[in-house]
Amino acid sequence: MITALRIHFFVLGIALLATAGARAADDVPSLFQERVKSVVAVEFFTESELDRRPTVSAALVADANGTLVLPASAINSYVPPAKLKDFRVYLPGRPANDYAVGEYLGQDPVSGWHFVRVEEKLRASLVPVTAFAAKTTSAEPAMGEEFWGIGLRGKDEDFKPYFMASRISLVQSLPERTGIALAEVAAPGLPVFDRSGVFAGVAVGGFGQTYLQYSRNDRGLPVMLMNTDESSVFQLAAAITPWLSRVPANVSGRPIAWLGAYALQPMDPEVASFLKLGDQSGCVVSEVLEGSPAESAGLKNRDIILAINGQALPRFKPDRVVVTYFDRELSARKPGDTLSLTVLRGTERVEIKVALAEQPKLMREADRTYFEKLGFTAREFVYGDGVVRRVKLAARKGVVAHFVKPSSPAATAGLRPDDWIIEVDGAEVKTYAEAVAKLAAIEADASRNDFVLLTSRGGETAVLRVKLK
Amino acid sequence: MKPVTVKESPKSSITRKITLLAVAFCAFLPAAEAAVSRGFTRLMDAVVRIDVREESFDTGARRFTAGIGSGVIVSADGLILTNAHVASPRAVELSVTLASLERVNATLVGWDHWTDLALLRIDLAEVKRRGLAFTHAEFADSDDLFPGQTVYAVGTPHGLTRTVTRGIISNNRRYFADNRGVKGYETGLFNTWLQTDAAINPGNSGGPLVDEKGRVVGINSRGYLGADNLAFAIPSNIAKKVVAGLAANGAITRSYIGIVPGALLDLEGFYSLKQNTGLLINSVDPGSPAARAGLRGGDIVLSINGAPVDGRFPEQLPPILNIIASLPVGAKVKLVVKRGEQTTTPELVTEKLESRQGEEWAFEKWGLTVRKVSRAYARENQLDDDTGLLVIGVQPGFPAAVAGLDRGDIITKINQERIASLEVAKKLHEAFVAKPAPTLIEAESDRRVSLYILKP
Repeated sequence: MITALRIHFFVLGIALLATAGARAADDVPSLFQERVKSVVAVEFFTESELDRRPTVSAALVADANGTLVLPASAINSYVPPAKLKDFRVYLPGRPANDYAVGEYLGQDPVSGWHFVRVEEKLRASLVPVTAFAAKTTSAEPAMGEEFWGIGLRGKDEDFKPYFMASRISLVQSLPERTGIALAEVAAPGLPVFDRSGVFAGVAVGGFGQTYLQYSRNDRGLPVMLMNTDESSVFQLAAAITPWLSRVPANVSGRPIAWLGAYALQPMDPEVASFLKLGDQSGCVVSEVLEGSPAESAGLKNRDIILAINGQALPRFKPDRVVVTYFDRELSARKPGDTLSLTVLRGTERVEIKVALAEQPKLMREADRTYFEKLGFTAREFVYGDGVVRRVKLAARKGVVAHFVKPSSPAATAGLRPDDWIIEVDGAEVKTYAEAVAKLAAIEADASRNDFVLLTSRGGETAVLRVKLK
Repeated sequence: MKPVTVKESPKSSITRKITLLAVAFCAFLPAAEAAVSRGFTRLMDAVVRIDVREESFDTGARRFTAGIGSGVIVSADGLILTNAHVASPRAVELSVTLASLERVNATLVGWDHWTDLALLRIDLAEVKRRGLAFTHAEFADSDDLFPGQTVYAVGTPHGLTRTVTRGIISNNRRYFADNRGVKGYETGLFNTWLQTDAAINPGNSGGPLVDEKGRVVGINSRGYLGADNLAFAIPSNIAKKVVAGLAANGAITRSYIGIVPGALLDLEGFYSLKQNTGLLINSVDPGSPAARAGLRGGDIVLSINGAPVDGRFPEQLPPILNIIASLPVGAKVKLVVKRGEQTTTPELVTEKLESRQGEEWAFEKWGLTVRKVSRAYARENQLDDDTGLLVIGVQPGFPAAVAGLDRGDIITKINQERIASLEVAKKLHEAFVAKPAPTLIEAESDRRVSLYILKP
């Protein structure tokens, strides 16, 4: 009798704990069961001139409106959103022929995350990861603390979810607070939880490990191996939770703030102490871009940025993280926002007030037309094209060969992707519209035997004769 | 292989073949013998092996490497013709092995990487003192060569002295240019090449290609690696001129206007040209005399200094470029240029042709080797100007490597001072050697500007 009563109390105790949300640490199966609802697999197709390539990525559920977040690496940022087709959302472990349709919402400039919204019918089966967030701001993970997360198998295995766990070995600022575990804890882009199931962060890919490879011919060749399906590194929830609500207002991801300081490089501590800057961190401005807010504000090539709005740039390890920090600071602002930069110019400190502008048209937003008979795609010449080719604003013209079909007339004539087309049939093409009109007329003219392009590659021009028959 | 059907008895068949061969041999014997006895023997006594020790700067320190090539003595006073990629100004020690197998020292008279030729002078005093003897080879007219003609290559392939291989002229007017073909220097822009299937191996470089009388028709220079007997030689008619120029001035000075031509091929219709007229300009070097005269890609040069030009095929381009290159530096060049319906007559003043490869140097205390950025290199890489030193090597553990400098960086400033010349950097390095102190380096790599500290 007494024994029975005791057992009863014990069971009650567990039930109470469960309702309080702080479930017993070891009840992993049920924690897993609930949290796997904040995880999906997303498949989509990238359409090019010749083919459609499928991509599969893990994604996490950001809110109750069916908003899904894919890691930055899931989609090449040069791809125009219009070329991303057929988003399909799969629940882990459900038959792969049973999917819901998704819509691409765009890329957030701060996090780099891609946002997708899934159709109504699936939303009830999903739980946003924020539902598992800590009620109060939690302390940083302690060294040795255990964390776990979710991985997804391939499409042929119905994206079956599986469990991973490891212990924290280090927390770093990269510049977000980032936990590094002893072994893989989750698929990149998927959430990580602590032992009680509280949302602790999102796993990030791109971290490799160095090994020595021994073979019959090589003695200890250093190689870097990267697990692309799983990661042992995760950005802590406190740093990235605000990003979950940064759903792009439109598919272009705009507004995107622009400063126009090109190729920032970190200033290392040795240089700081040589320049008598003590413990100060900083970024060297390699180039100030023509026509940019930085230029009109008077920023100069080789200036060293030391502070934003009077706040000194923090010191990070590795040194180069300061550049990411600065980029995040910029992209979190809006076009029109003003900020003041403290820069070191020679030995002098200069204060610069700059009003950020809207980012010029990006490569992924450039218009393009594929001429099938000629065998190439003409793409609008955008601001970035001028930057990489060192072309002055006033001299920007023509179009860029975005794609060249192998063995096509254009390819045979020597046209290569990224060639800059300046003239068509001996006459300069000033604008994209003019170039497309000319090329379309050539493509439509069945009597044409050939046409001639003047192209530029690496600063050197060449006359190409494209033979059509 | 086995014979398939034999009507006659095997023995008689063999006998007949042998007879036929013997007859053939007899018929050719007198000519062949004559070649061997006179010209060829004389040539063999003029071919030398060249051992080179040269400095190299690509490891962050001044180091020495050794190599073997071939050469041919072309004058009674001991001038030796070889390849520029065998004997360059980097050579610190040149020794020559004569036909008698005796070794003698030699010095570099001059080199010309554009034609891949270099001229050495044998130490005549030593030759006299030791009582050695040599002969010199004769040149034949390379314009008389015809595809299919038998030629011999003589040289030191893989160090095997006095090796003769035989082949034919495969093509007597081959065009190819290589922007970094001779130790990183340009070659082939102003000449065509002889192509032969005589076996040319590493070490043959600089040796003569000769006709059956042992007269030099070319200087063996290069072969396609991995191909079967596709080898190239500089024609003797070009070599003769280069020998004269190097012997007189130690260098061949050429003129430059900055046009990059392209073969017109079948573009005549498009440009409304008569067949076999005009030189197509593919590209114009920014800042060059041609660019300043307003020329650009797609222009057609109809004549140079009044002489009409025909650049229809790639093989025709080197001689045309050579017309400009052969002018004295600072000479006026009058072009007739067609652009669309317009014809203009710009007058250009030539500049001195310079290599993209600048002078190299080692800063021993920094563990850093550099190459001066040249105007051509700056142009090629779209740099603002020729300021700076290209890092070509860093020595692990030395200040430059520790600071994070790497190959490919371009050092633009040291201690805030702009590095306009190698001399500026040498002075700063001397100061560092005399009184070691942290030194600030500004370097550019792919347009990214970084700062580094060299610590003693």
